[in-house]
Amino acid sequence: MADTQQRLQGLSEQFQKLQTDLQNNIQSRQKLESQQQENKGVQKEFASLDDNSTIYKLVGPVLLKQDKAEAILGVDGRLELIGNQIKEVEKQIKEAQDKSEELKAQIIQAQTEAQEHGAQAQVAA
Amino acid sequence: MASPKGQQVDLTSFSTQQLSQFKKQLDDELEHLTNSYTQLRAAQAKFRECIRSIATGVSSKIDGKTILVPLTTSLYVPGKLADTENVIVDVGTGFYVEKSTKDATKFYEAKVKELEINIKDLEAIVKQKSSNLSMVEDVLRQRVLSAGNASAATTTA
Repeated sequence: MADTQQRLQGLSEQFQKLQTDLQNNIQSRQKLESQQQENKGVQKEFASLDDNSTIYKLVGPVLLKQDKAEAILGVDGRLELIGNQIKEVEKQIKEAQDKSEELKAQIIQAQTEAQEHGAQAQVAA
Repeated sequence: MASPKGQQVDLTSFSTQQLSQFKKQLDDELEHLTNSYTQLRAAQAKFRECIRSIATGVSSKIDGKTILVPLTTSLYVPGKLADTENVIVDVGTGFYVEKSTKDATKFYEAKVKELEINIKDLEAIVKQKSSNLSMVEDVLRQRVLSAGNASAATTTA
């Protein structure tokens, strides 16, 4: 009886931890998404610019003049990086979701076991 | 996730507990969406302000006139615009582009329009979610009313 109880507690602790992890991952996924959107906006803007327009990049507190080609390359690179990060986080989210489903099933099983034990104890008493 | 979109789902077939959970989820979603809505509106207002600033503050009419440049919110120094034709526009992620006032206005107008579309989309979603929420609430209320006082206490908890 105490054994099932303990197992149940352990499982629910694991489950809770997994849920927090999942929340964190979802949050970083959202942050990446907004970064991706912003970079895409910049990419689109650059695409519509003349070749001779002046582009500045904010480095710390100063604006540095930058080549258009270089700026485009920078944004493309960042987009690729963000895309990879999104894939990575999504994989983690998927894993956490699968695992939490698995744990849920285990918890439910442990719960029914505990209930059965309780019923048997009552019958015996 | 499993929200009733388009196709009809019989809400009465769910247990009270499921419905409460459903309501909570919808509440959370709605709050998140309304927050986003406020943020979009604020961003739009900011871009509109930029257009207005260019229209009134940067033009050939201003050429030669003295303006007050804010160093802090309460300290201003007199100055003159060196260039009344071009402005530097923040296009995001730390990039700034020099644009003519005309192009800059166009840029901001495009931004405002883009946001308007997003706001419209969001409005439709918020409406949909609100009606979903009120449906769930209706069913829940009926449950509570039809059930005795004893079970009502547990469902609202």
